[in-house]
Amino acid sequence: MKHSVNRPPTPDAAEDQGKEPTLQEIINIKLIESGEKERLMELLRERLIDCGWKDEMKAICRAYIKKKGRNNVTVDDLVHLITPKGRASVPDNVKADLLQRIRTFLMSAAL
Amino acid sequence: MSVQNEDDTQLSSHFYGGLLDSIIVDVASECHRTAKLGLDHNLEEEEEEMRLSAQARARVADPSNSGETNNKYVVDIFGQTHPSVASEIFECMNCGRSISAGRFAPHLEKCMGKGRKARLKVTRSTTSAQNHYSRGSPVSTHSSFSNSTSTNRLSNGTPGVAGEEYSNGTYEGP
Repeated sequence: MKHSVNRPPTPDAAEDQGKEPTLQEIINIKLIESGEKERLMELLRERLIDCGWKDEMKAICRAYIKKKGRNNVTVDDLVHLITPKGRASVPDNVKADLLQRIRTFLMSAAL
Repeated sequence: MSVQNEDDTQLSSHFYGGLLDSIIVDVASECHRTAKLGLDHNLEEEEEEMRLSAQARARVADPSNSGETNNKYVVDIFGQTHPSVASEIFECMNCGRSISAGRFAPHLEKCMGKGRKARLKVTRSTTSAQNHYSRGSPVSTHSSFSNSTSTNRLSNGTPGVAGEEYSNGTYEGP
């Protein structure tokens, strides 16, 4: 019984680690709360469809599924399949435009 | 300032990567769903179906059953043929004659109102024509007149009294 009285209080995880939200987390929250993250995602999605990137990725997926058989493929497989190629094949202007917009947001929000 | 710029670049790349990853997952998930549900018609299993449908098409295109426009006898999907002109015979409800089905529409045109002869025919024998299609319901001449205003719409613009009688007759038909 006495043990329980002397027992140290349950540590609060965040306080215990002395962890403050990182700059990244703060900005992420701001992005989401302002709706900018969703806008940026829709913009990027639209650009990638327009330039044919999405079709390329879908073709890669379909070829893989055809080879493996459609009941042997998981979403995870496909994600790992197209991530490296997907990241590399985004057109430069699309990437530059998005980066610029994000930087603009950072400058306006992080100050 | 330069340090901040580098940080900014790194930070914005980080967020850009996050956005791109989300989109990649979406595309992968969509492809996965399409394939699993069999909605994608490019996969190997569908090739079997394609072969079968190609076979069916070949059979249809076979010279023994020639194209629709050429041949009088067209084969429908049950393998039945119909002559291009319908040949059943039945009685015209207007004049009582036996008409071939294929000739029924032009017959009706002449019989019911378009032609000059039809209108002349009507004005002549009002009572007898009326008795013919009243079909047992006691319609007197007077009531037919009173109904005429309501059934005016049915007649094809024939101005005469008899035209309204016609419409009354057909109106009362089952």
